[in-house]
Formats: sequence, C-alpha cells, structure tokens
Amino acid sequence: MANHALVSPVAHKDVKIITDRSAKYGDNLWYALTFPREFRSVQAHYPIFFNKNPSTGKFISVALFGFKEHENLFLDDNGWNADYIPTSVLRSPFLIGKQKTTENGVEEEQRMLTLDMDNPRVSNIEGEALFLPFGGHSDFLDKTSSMMEALHLGAIDGQAFTQKLEDLELLEPCTLDITLDNGLKNQMIGFYVINEDKVDALTIEQIQDLRESKYLQAIYMAIASQSNIRSLVTKKNALVAAQD
Amino acid sequence: MNNSIKKITIVGGGSAGWLTAGILASEFKTQGDLAVEITLIESPDVPTVGVGEGTWPSMRQTLKKIGVSEADFLMECDATFKQASKFDNWINGTNDSYFHPFTLPSGFFETNIAEFWQQHSKQVSFADATTVQSHLCKNGLAPKQISTPEYAFACNYGYHLDAGKFSTFLQKHCCEKLGVKHILDHVVKINSHENGDIASVSSKLHGDIDGDLFIDCTGFKSLLLGEHYGVEFISQKHVLFNDTALAVHVPYPHENSPIASHTISTAQTSGWIWDIGLPSRRGVGHVYSSAHISDDEAEQQLRSYISPSLGKNQKLADIRKISINPGFRSKFWHKNCVAIGMSSGFIEPLEASALALIELSAKMVADQLPANRQVMDITAKRFNEKFSYRWQRIIEFLKLHYVLSSRQETYWQDNRCENSIPEHLNELIALWKYQTPYGYDTHHTEELFPAASFQYILYGMGFKTDLALRQKREDKKEIANKFFNDNIAHTHKLMNAMSSNRELLNKIKQYGLSKV
Repeated sequence: MANHALVSPVAHKDVKIITDRSAKYGDNLWYALTFPREFRSVQAHYPIFFNKNPSTGKFISVALFGFKEHENLFLDDNGWNADYIPTSVLRSPFLIGKQKTTENGVEEEQRMLTLDMDNPRVSNIEGEALFLPFGGHSDFLDKTSSMMEALHLGAIDGQAFTQKLEDLELLEPCTLDITLDNGLKNQMIGFYVINEDKVDALTIEQIQDLRESKYLQAIYMAIASQSNIRSLVTKKNALVAAQD
Repeated sequence: MNNSIKKITIVGGGSAGWLTAGILASEFKTQGDLAVEITLIESPDVPTVGVGEGTWPSMRQTLKKIGVSEADFLMECDATFKQASKFDNWINGTNDSYFHPFTLPSGFFETNIAEFWQQHSKQVSFADATTVQSHLCKNGLAPKQISTPEYAFACNYGYHLDAGKFSTFLQKHCCEKLGVKHILDHVVKINSHENGDIASVSSKLHGDIDGDLFIDCTGFKSLLLGEHYGVEFISQKHVLFNDTALAVHVPYPHENSPIASHTISTAQTSGWIWDIGLPSRRGVGHVYSSAHISDDEAEQQLRSYISPSLGKNQKLADIRKISINPGFRSKFWHKNCVAIGMSSGFIEPLEASALALIELSAKMVADQLPANRQVMDITAKRFNEKFSYRWQRIIEFLKLHYVLSSRQETYWQDNRCENSIPEHLNELIALWKYQTPYGYDTHHTEELFPAASFQYILYGMGFKTDLALRQKREDKKEIANKFFNDNIAHTHKLMNAMSSNRELLNKIKQYGLSKV
C-alpha cells in the first residue's frame, strides 16, 4: 500500500528524490497516460493509443513503450533513451492530494502535493533535495509543483478530449499483430485507435468544433504517432537479437 | 389488388406493440419514396399487464438493432442483468436448487461434455462444472465490467426490467428517432375489404386508419385475430395447469441491497413463485393452478415467501391478481393481420419466453415482410408453421421442468400424469435415458431452446442418463477434462474481476458504457 504524506518542510527536510530512470524505480512501464497538451512532444517518440480506465470504463490517451506488461523498450542500463518522457511518468513518486477547506462558509477543494514515502525513489542519501537547508523550496520542488499542476490540468483536458472522440465515435478497437525478425509473433489487444475514415467523414461543423477546442491537431498528431510503432518494432528486434 | 406492402398499422402498445414498432422501424426507412410507413394506435389509459419482466439474451441484439444506448435503457427501464434462472425446491422440495444459465457449457461445440460430467455428478453440479455463470450468480456478480462495451459481455446475459417503463422508453425512441407515427385513441370498429382483409380500423377521434398489414398487439383481448377473425384458441391447460398469478412489488431493505443476477423460481405446493430483482425493487409473484389451491392459500404462500426479506417497517404493496389462459392461437397470421404478444398466446412465465417470442415474431415480420398482397398468404403460412412449432417447443420445455420433479403434492403428481405430457416430450425423455441431448435434438434455425438448455434442466433436476456401454475409437475424455479445468480457471479469473451487479449499475449511472 502506498503511504502518502503531504509534502512539508518539517517532515521532509532531508528527503531526496532519485531521478534516475530504471526498472528498479518502476520505469519498466508498458505504457503510460498522456494528454493532448504534450502530444507534440510525445508523438515525436512514442505511438499514441487509447485504452480504458478499468475502474470507470472511460477512455484515456496512452503513450506506448513496449508490447507487453513490464516491457519498456526505451529503458536500458543507461536510463531512458528518449528526449521526452511523459509527465505522468515523471511525476512519480508525487501525487496530487485533494483537501476540502471551508472558507467563509464556502467549501473549496485545494490541491496539495503529496509524496509516496514507500516509493523506492524516496531517499535520504542520493537524489534531488526537496527543501533548501533553511526550509525554502528547492528548484526541483518548484519545478515538480508546476509539473503536477500541468499534469492535473492536462489530464482534465485529456478526459474532455477522449470524451469528444467517443461522442463522435472516432475510436475503434485495434489488434496489433507484430511479427519479429526471428519469426516470433506478438499480439496486443485492448487498445483503441482513431479511425481515419471516420475523421475524414466529419462534417464541417464538427471539424470547426474540434479546431476551436484544439483537438483537431491532437487527432492528427495521434494518427501520425502510429508510425512510431515501426521504431518500437526495430527496438524489439534489436533486443531479441542481443538476447539470442 | 397489386398492392405492395407499404403501410403497417400496429394496434396496441405495451411491450409487444412498441418492440414490434422498434424492430420494424429500425429495419425499414420510414420516410421517403420507398418508405414503409409505421403507425401505432393505442388506447389511452389502458393499463398494461406489466408482467414479463425477464428477457433472454436475444434482447441485447434487439436493443442494439433498434439503436438505443444500453446505458440509457438500463437507467430508464429500471433494468439490470439477468444471467440465469435458479430453480429452488423443484426436485423434491428439500432445499434443493439448480441453475439454468445463459452461457453454453464450456466446449459445447467441440464435445458433448454432459457425457463426461455423468461420472462426476456426485461431486459437482452440471452447471457449476461446465459454466462460470452459476458461480457468478451465487455471488451476485455482474456479467460484464464497466470497461466492457455496451451489449458486449464476459458472460452471456439478458435483462430484468420494468415492463411499463420499457414501453415508455421504446415509444419515445420509436417516435423521436425512427419515425413511427403514434396515435392515442380508441379503436371502435374494424373495416374490411371484400376479400376479408382488414382495410382500416375506425378510431374515436382520428377517423379511419388504414394499412396494408395490421399487427394485433392488443394483449389478452386479441381484438383483430381473436375477436374480429375468430381464430381458434388452443388451450394448453391440460399440459400446463397454472391459470392464475398473484403479483406484487417488494421493496429492498436498503438502497444498496444486492441485486440478484438471476430469476429465482421457487416451487410451491401448487405452483411456483418468481422473484425478479430490479435496481429499485423486486417483482415477486405466485403462479399456480386454481384447481389445486385456493387464492387465499396461494396468497398465504406468497406472503410467507416475502416476509423474511421485508424490513421491520416495510409494508407490502397491493397484490394484483392476473388470470392466465394458457394456450395459443391455431394460427397467428391470418389474411393481412398478424398477432404478436399475448394476442397470439400466453403461457406462464417459467422461462420468460413472452418477450423473446415478441422479438422473434417481429423479427420474422421484418425479415420476411411480403413484397405485396399476392405473396402474403405464403409468408403467413410459413410464419404460422414456424410459430406453431415454437409454441409447442416452449410448452414441452416448460412441462419438462414439472415432469422431472419428484415432489409428492397432488399438483405435482398430476403434472407427471401420462396423459398430461405431450407425446413428443415423452419420446425425448425416453431417449434421454440412454443418450444426452445434443446436436440431433434441436435442428431449426433460431431454435428457442438449444440442446444445452435441456442438459441444464435434465441434469439440474437430477435426471440419470445411462450411456450405452460401447467403446468408441476416439476417447474424448481428455478433451472433456481440459474443458472442466478451463472452466475452473476461467471461473477463478472472473470471480476476481467482476464487481457486484449493484456496483456495476451505479458505475454505469455515473460513467455510461462506451460503444466500442
């Protein structure tokens, strides 16, 4: 069980966060949540797919790193080999906690930065300090706070995006069949893609609406990102060849 | 009269009228040059009978075809998932119980697993050994997850629903989306062509409403087929004795009480009690033979069934009495009139066949809609053959439940009386003493009850099949064992993955179900 604590200069004055990328810190991810506001950077490296949040059934956008559970083809002994890592990965071990406060009789929800103290990234020895020796925020903590805010807002916008895709019935399930150089076959199910024919069939009004919400660009970036599947297969072939 | 069939007039609403309207109007364009015009006329303020709260899995395809969202349907019709029927006290009345699930036994198309189950029959029930579904039902678990697309499933399912709300829901969709014309008025007269076809029906306020084909959905009244044409009614009371039902709505003790994912059917001394869990209430009723028990006694049995589940301060709503005349018409399609729903026949709701028959009837009218009047009589003949066959199969299948019982009350003994059992059923039972129901026992397209259903009832009821002692060249025992083991693994997986019925419905209310 995760052990979440509100980040505080008193409790966490000596806490450091390890920012190395490695399987032992949980970076051996098959895929991770992404959202339109970072699609421009994500689509340069990773294929963007859609899948369902198992507890709500609602669609989310995900960046794909491998073809099966715990397979991250960007990760090796030297770390994560890509210029951009999705925000939802970078956020670990932080989370946003919500606190309800009542001010002048009005209930407000406040977002608080929390830390999973059981996460292997949390250390007292190595890594980036959260607080300066006299209690001030470190640059790292400030950057983390703004990143978490961006993640929070980006994820909300991402929900609106996938809801729009669902309403317009643009998503379709896909089965990804990969045949490797050594003849091994790999099948990936449970993911969805944007149906390009359906995008082409949208009405002018629908296109206009998508353009205004900035989702038209996101749709085309998600479609274009599919070409990254090929580089993922290349990585997988190289990995298999090295293991043989 | 070289008339092509372009105008269909449905007389009567309710589940029958509106399902028929929805199935027809989702098949044909209802506007434009080559449209089929569909009009439904129903009397205002005529209460629908409002039984028929269980469906078969076929309803999923039907609703999908009609084009409604499953989440909307579930919320607006107070509906939930039905995965099976559970029969309590049917075998001998000593707290016995078995399931008839909607899922086929595992590996059903590869091998007849029932043959191999026989030797394990003392350790595990047939349904438990061959399906996941009885396990899910016993634990109140849902047949799908929130991430499962609408109308798709992990385990096959139908629905429990509020019949009144269902009609309203379909009516709205038919009129707003499918272009069905709705007239609220009383039919006062039926006008004929010279050849005896119905030309039009006269209404009180809207004048004459004509049509090329009339569909009689007027319920027990059977206004067109029965009253107007006088088509003979074939009583089945000598086979299925139940002729009266007492129905009542039962509140849950708590807002979040579990919802059963199966219909519970509990045998009584002279009939049985149905128990259908909807999200907001249960629908419970006692259906019995008035020749074997008085109404008062039947009501007493109903009350004692319900009382343990009633909260301290909860009172029972009014009990409604419904008379059932079990049987069906000698034909269902006569001239240019076809009867769908209770106007064509009615039988006790033991296997919830009422809505399924409506779907099948309307589907055949939609699929086989005659091009013109000249060929209509041929279609009518084919329709009549098909549905006479189906009615007979339903009656036999229901009767099977009674025949296999060893309960000792007079009602049950009378039910086992040789002259009350259809000959065809007797033959099947004779065969099944030595061979298990399989491919040769069901052979029509869209057979109502697959051989698997007969297996579930027979072996659920403890029927013994003594397989002929012959050695076959190919030993399929290992294949069968693989399916038994697969079922154990699959059961384990789904038991951990599925949420409760109630939990899933709450989630659907919040998030809906995606189309893909």
